[in-house]
Amino acid sequence: MTEQAIEPAATRLSPEEFADRARAIEREVGRVIVGQHALVRQTLIVMLANGHALLEGVPGLGKTLLVRTMAEVLDCAFNRIQFTPDLMPADIVGTNILIEEEGGRQFRFQPGPIFANLVLADEINRATPKTQSALLEAMQEQQVSVARQRYKLDPPFFVLATQNPLEMEGTYPLPEAQLDRFLFKLWVPFPAEEDLIAIMDRTTGAETATVEHVASGADLVAMQRLARSVPIAPHVTAYAVSLLSATHPDNERAPGLVREYVRYGGSPRGAQALVLAGKIGALMDGRYNVAIDDVREVALPALRHRVIRNFEGEAEGITPDAIIRSVLDAVPPPRVD
Amino acid sequence: MTLDPTLSQIRDGLRPFRRRLWLRRVVRDGTFSLAAVMGLELALALAARIVPLEWGRVAAAAIPLLGALALLVDAVRVRPTLGETALALDGEQGLRDRVSSALEIALRSPDLVEAPLAAEDAPTAEGTATEDAATYARFVRLQRRDALSTLRAADRRAFRPRLQRRPAAVTVVLALLLVPALLLPNPQSDVLARRENQRAAAERQAEKLEKAAERLAEGRTAPDPRLDLSAELKKLARELRERPEDLDAQLARLGSLEDALRARIDPANEQRAAALSSLARSVSRLSSGQDSNPGGDPKKANEDLARLGEKIDGMTKAEREALAADLAGLESTARQAGADAQAALRDAAQALGRGDATGAKDALGRLGDALERGARNAELNRDLARTANDLQDARRQLADAGKPGNQGQGQGQGQGQGQGQGQGQGQGQGQGQGQGQGQGQGQGQGQGQGQGQGQGQGSLGGGGSNARFLGSGSSSGGFGGPTAGNKQFSTGDIDKVLADFGRLGKPGDPSYVAGTGGDGQTQQGSGTGQGTPSDAFVPYTGVFQDFYDFAITSLERSTVPLGVKDYVRDYFSSLNP
Repeated sequence: MTEQAIEPAATRLSPEEFADRARAIEREVGRVIVGQHALVRQTLIVMLANGHALLEGVPGLGKTLLVRTMAEVLDCAFNRIQFTPDLMPADIVGTNILIEEEGGRQFRFQPGPIFANLVLADEINRATPKTQSALLEAMQEQQVSVARQRYKLDPPFFVLATQNPLEMEGTYPLPEAQLDRFLFKLWVPFPAEEDLIAIMDRTTGAETATVEHVASGADLVAMQRLARSVPIAPHVTAYAVSLLSATHPDNERAPGLVREYVRYGGSPRGAQALVLAGKIGALMDGRYNVAIDDVREVALPALRHRVIRNFEGEAEGITPDAIIRSVLDAVPPPRVD
Repeated sequence: MTLDPTLSQIRDGLRPFRRRLWLRRVVRDGTFSLAAVMGLELALALAARIVPLEWGRVAAAAIPLLGALALLVDAVRVRPTLGETALALDGEQGLRDRVSSALEIALRSPDLVEAPLAAEDAPTAEGTATEDAATYARFVRLQRRDALSTLRAADRRAFRPRLQRRPAAVTVVLALLLVPALLLPNPQSDVLARRENQRAAAERQAEKLEKAAERLAEGRTAPDPRLDLSAELKKLARELRERPEDLDAQLARLGSLEDALRARIDPANEQRAAALSSLARSVSRLSSGQDSNPGGDPKKANEDLARLGEKIDGMTKAEREALAADLAGLESTARQAGADAQAALRDAAQALGRGDATGAKDALGRLGDALERGARNAELNRDLARTANDLQDARRQLADAGKPGNQGQGQGQGQGQGQGQGQGQGQGQGQGQGQGQGQGQGQGQGQGQGQGQGQGQGSLGGGGSNARFLGSGSSSGGFGGPTAGNKQFSTGDIDKVLADFGRLGKPGDPSYVAGTGGDGQTQQGSGTGQGTPSDAFVPYTGVFQDFYDFAITSLERSTVPLGVKDYVRDYFSSLNP
């Protein structure tokens, strides 16, 4: 098996430059996406953490537009894959095709749409589990294997998947193993009325909002590297671990909702997501240290898809967000009086 | 090693905050301590109203001291570290963990505690481990500078001491409940006072018993029964001291010993002693021809009899017959003095009548021995009787101490009822003196807040005390019951029939009955509140039965001639309402 990869050159950033660029990205995306500031920020956190996000929301809320705008602002290669039941794995990762070249026939790898910096997996739950699992290696290893050949994906590589919670007929819910590979599960809320008015103004007029490239893929890689260098105090790490532990029903700090309605709590990836996202949140705020509040702010998107409810929980409509909020209440920040 | 100046400045900057945080903790825990002290005091005060707590005052004083001590220990324990101070400051002032992170990461990265090297800021090869380490170090330094600037901008008045609402409210409520619990009269105080009286009485009686024991043992050698009695009294005194609260058992022991003693006492001892004294006086007069032994000393009588025996050989027949007749004239007295004396006297008279000088000498010698032996027995009986009286007195004192004290009561004038507490304690001295007119007097005096004075008249000299107490704004008092009766008495006119006046009230007189001065007792009360004078003066009809019972009991227990008993009964019959 051979490897083919291209390492982009990383530039050295200061924390202040990090914050400036992050603000610039948010600002540019905001020129197209009305409102949804938290969604934009959390999507950016996912990208700066070199993770993947699962966006869930009803149709028409701008999920695809958000991802596309992100790709434009970041000057990244962008591909969109519309998942359907008949979509095959080769349609995603690519395949070897027979070509005649220099007087002979040979197989050449034809990359699939996964070979991009930013991949939008639209309505991912409509594809079969076999096709969904084609994303697994790419998301985790940032590489694909075709015909015993391993192909590295160019960094930065992000998968932003969407799914529609309403039309569940003929869908294939993502397995827990695949859900766990998403750093965040983002809930796309319905816009507020004033945001809707702004959306109407922007989308029904003659002018179309355009964005500028404010960062490159190399910048993103440098930002990712810098984010991982942020020191975090032990008590903050311990708090993140406590939060995660409290999602397990057999943990002594687990609140009543967890004990009653949760089958399995979050995996260690959940705590990693809390810490890493906390670091990025601190840098975006212009700080050099991670605060406990940074961890708490990302608890919902980082843990909501990692908490597996039991039958009673699903039957009684206990949402993962309610469970995570009860965990946040049960594990308050450490106070010293 | 040179500490990173920024880190050092952070530590210095945290110290004032640490002191303020420490003070806040002490105030917080002090509030809890105060609430706990109040709670314990209230619990103690309530418990002291349910059961008598003799250690209640000590505990009440100890609880605040213990609370203060606990607070002191706690103050040392809760002294915050710099790390805790940093965490608390971050939390209180919303510093987003800047200061605490800087300190904790310094602990976690000891290689970054020292002052930064110039090389740390030098450019490094990108994408290398060295570059990552340098980035990390830069972040640490940046964090410290950020923490220091944040610390300098922090509010210096942070960590204001504040009272915890709940414990403060609990403290106030407990304090409000504690005031009436402490100020309202406590019924258990009487119980405690009675116990104290009981202990004091037990101590006093133990001392008396020890004195009696020493008196009995003084100059005695085994196998004198008074030595055994002395040991028994000392044992009783020891038990009284060790278990003063075990009143019933102590009374039973005293009563048991008293009964045993009284069973051994010869009821006719005084009569026999008087006869012995009279006989000794008479035989001394026969021997010397004059009243050489007016006190009836048996030893002197024995010596006189020995000299009389020596004179027999030189007597004429007529003198011997005269002596025999004189001796025969003393036979009635000798019969009262005892069988030995009577037999010896009769033998002496008969031997003299027969002219048997040797037999007469021998009989006179036996008569002298009988007189001395009888005198010793009389003395033993007196000691036993005195000890029995001591035991009886001790028993009564103990029983009185165990009774509830008289409580003064006052009635409020239009405002309910006043309350008062009384505590009876007093000492009286009974003293009697026999007179020819047959009157005895007894006096008892009480001491304390109340005063009591009792007088008794009559042939028995029965004393009493009448206590009166008039408190300010109230009146309360108790009547002291009959105290120990005066034991020394004279038989009055009856003695004129029995003996001449010159011997009345003196040892050897048949009508003399030795008595001991008893301790009078006054019970006094004290009280507060408004009231009207209560019945501090008790009409004699109200106490007649007590005096009568006491007198009759004394008559039954003491050796009193029958005629005198009738006299006493007649006296009380004349007074009977």
